[in-house]
Amino acid sequence: MRQRGAVGWLKHDITHRGVTAWILTLLLAAFYFILYYGGRTIGGFAVPDLWTGAAEVLGFPHKWLFYGFLYTLAIVIGGAYVMWKYSHNRYQLVRTTVVIFVQCTLAFAIPWILLAFEQPEFYFSYLWPLQIENFYPSNVVNQPLPIILYSVIGSLVLVPVLGVLYGKRWYCSWVCGCGGLANTAGEPFRHLGTKTMRSWRFEKWAVHLTLIAALVVTAVVIAAWAVGDNYPQFEETAASMQSLYGLLVVTMLSGIIGVVVYPIGGTRVWCRFFCPMAALLGLIQKFGRFRITVKDDMCISCGLCTRYCEMGIDVRAYAQANTDFVRASCVGCGLCAEVCPRGVLRLENKTPRDPQELTMSSLLSETYR
Amino acid sequence: MHYVIVGNGVAGTRAAMTIRQRHEPQQARITLISDESPYFFSRTALMYAYMDQLRRRDLEPYEREVYDRQQIERIEAQVVDLDAESKKLTLDDGRVITFDRCLLAVGAGPRMIDFQGLDDVEDGLVHFVSLQDLDTCERLTWSTDHAVVVGGGLIGVELVECFRHHGLQVTFLVREPYYWPAAFAEEEGQMISEHIRSHGVDLCHETQLASIETDSRGRVSAVVTEDDEQIQCQMLGIAIGVVPRVNWLRDVATPPAIGAGLRVNRAFETSLPGVYGAGDCIEIELDPKKEPLHEPIWYAARRHGELAARSMLDDDISYEPPIFYNSSKFFDIEYTTVGEVQDLPAGTNTLYRRKPDAAVSQRIVVDGDNCVLGFSMLGSRWDHTVLTRWIKENRSLDFVRRNLPDAQFDVEFGRVDLDSFNEEMRTL
Repeated sequence: MRQRGAVGWLKHDITHRGVTAWILTLLLAAFYFILYYGGRTIGGFAVPDLWTGAAEVLGFPHKWLFYGFLYTLAIVIGGAYVMWKYSHNRYQLVRTTVVIFVQCTLAFAIPWILLAFEQPEFYFSYLWPLQIENFYPSNVVNQPLPIILYSVIGSLVLVPVLGVLYGKRWYCSWVCGCGGLANTAGEPFRHLGTKTMRSWRFEKWAVHLTLIAALVVTAVVIAAWAVGDNYPQFEETAASMQSLYGLLVVTMLSGIIGVVVYPIGGTRVWCRFFCPMAALLGLIQKFGRFRITVKDDMCISCGLCTRYCEMGIDVRAYAQANTDFVRASCVGCGLCAEVCPRGVLRLENKTPRDPQELTMSSLLSETYR
Repeated sequence: MHYVIVGNGVAGTRAAMTIRQRHEPQQARITLISDESPYFFSRTALMYAYMDQLRRRDLEPYEREVYDRQQIERIEAQVVDLDAESKKLTLDDGRVITFDRCLLAVGAGPRMIDFQGLDDVEDGLVHFVSLQDLDTCERLTWSTDHAVVVGGGLIGVELVECFRHHGLQVTFLVREPYYWPAAFAEEEGQMISEHIRSHGVDLCHETQLASIETDSRGRVSAVVTEDDEQIQCQMLGIAIGVVPRVNWLRDVATPPAIGAGLRVNRAFETSLPGVYGAGDCIEIELDPKKEPLHEPIWYAARRHGELAARSMLDDDISYEPPIFYNSSKFFDIEYTTVGEVQDLPAGTNTLYRRKPDAAVSQRIVVDGDNCVLGFSMLGSRWDHTVLTRWIKENRSLDFVRRNLPDAQFDVEFGRVDLDSFNEEMRTL
């Protein structure tokens, strides 16, 4: 039951899909709508360009840097809250410190500094395929060589190598800004992620289809750039695929939906169902060292781990079956281990790994669970 | 073959799952009967529902469709009669269920003492072992400012934590001079007592409840201790242990043998043919010369359920209790215990280790040859399987001290530095 009093009501209501949660969702939706469409006329309605105005008043060069500032602020404040809440857990302290640091530097201060020195704005914490433009040739040619090298080596070497050594978590819950916001400001809503079988059936298709879409779009855009002048129609197709992916995946799913649904659908909706980077890292994770170790016969089946898993994994099912496990979707936030009242779970990078069989049928049917 | 299981707690449900793993529905029909809840739920997680960390549905370890998929039939009713000769159970709604094998896994209920004034109590007195208790607690919390909890065991401190979460003032009456002497030596007991007090609980040791006072509508209004101190309260939690729910079995058509609990042998067979017992309701006769074994903890019940099911499936079962282990959490302090640590005789040698600046401690119990017998670990995480192995292997205290880090189970970056502890041998 909820705590008594008005504050008790609010705490419960906003974290249990109550009226206030829906209001917050609407406010977030309005915020993002104005952010993306401010200054344009949509269906005869002129969307006020509020955030450009606000950015000017506050001295930001444009509204996106203002948005970056708010995003960073949310991570810093939310991160401070998380560090206070889990102050007894050093994994959470270290991880959250890194998340805050990466956001403040790589994802905010450095792009701003680059801009001040009249360099192209570059976000070192986002890599292809999440930052799909990193591999678009028209973008690449405008970048200085070190940055080109960084994005290519980052995506093709760093991502798989660190993924094998430490699992998906090195990126998803230590570096990435999407995960960073989810694990800081999103903390009060983390339990809202759905755990139904239906959501799992949707997830395994959706997240891998987005990955395939990202691969196809990248390949087509590169091919069109290489042969474009000779095949204008192909170039046109590539351009429309690029903009469709940009609108649907980058703007709608990652930019807007991902954050707007926090109060009603939980954090990490984007990460879990759509992020191509998460899908790729998930596949790598299955072959890497990362795992969650379960202490045999110690689980009391309370369900806190499952409830607080933001990726919708039924952790309890593994814990009560004494099965060490690696789920492709697990971002290694460590909250299942934190909330477990009997200390049953531990995140580990360990050789020999392979707590689960890795056969084709388990890959196809059960693996990603 | 029709397997009827009375009680859908962890023992009963585990038994049902074990039978189903072995036999298809055509070979084994399984019926689970409970009047507490239509679906198995995690009793150990009641407190998290009370504190709003879980919804009721989250307490259920299996998705509801599992029962249909596994073809486990469920009946919501109370069993009122057992006839082992004609193999029939009678339910409170008049239905009669026939069985080939029956498992009684009816659990344990709260122990109660006939306190003075108890007869006048209509409302305000709570226990904390069933879903119905949770309902009652939640209903009463709204109109309570001050609560009294009696009983210094595991359930008592859970109830205290829940009450504090809801902002109630709590007086915690514990008969013993420090917290839980059955399991803790004085140092640990006092450490836990201090920790409980640091959460704003008025913990009164060596204090017992003498009588209960009620208001005009029969709701608890105050309690009086044996020192004649009156404490105003609107809720009274009694958590002084549990007793097997076996009284109803005394008046059935074919009563089974009952001691302090339902008497079973090492194969979990009761004195009645085709009737078995498992979980908190049983006592196991291991040796006719010794007291029967009563293991009222979650892990044991789960083990019983599985073994009793195998016994019902005609496997040759002879229960040998494994090395004891248990776990708990006292507010923020996690507790892992393995081996012989409860009710130790005076003169037992122990190594006591305590971190100077934090509520983290370890106690290692040894025998006359300095081989380890038991561990009682507070405030950090331990892998009980490693500790169990050391006891099995008769490891010496020196070996265990040297290798203690191998059994640590702390989170990454959070490994407790075992060199920073003060340690000394203590004779209890």
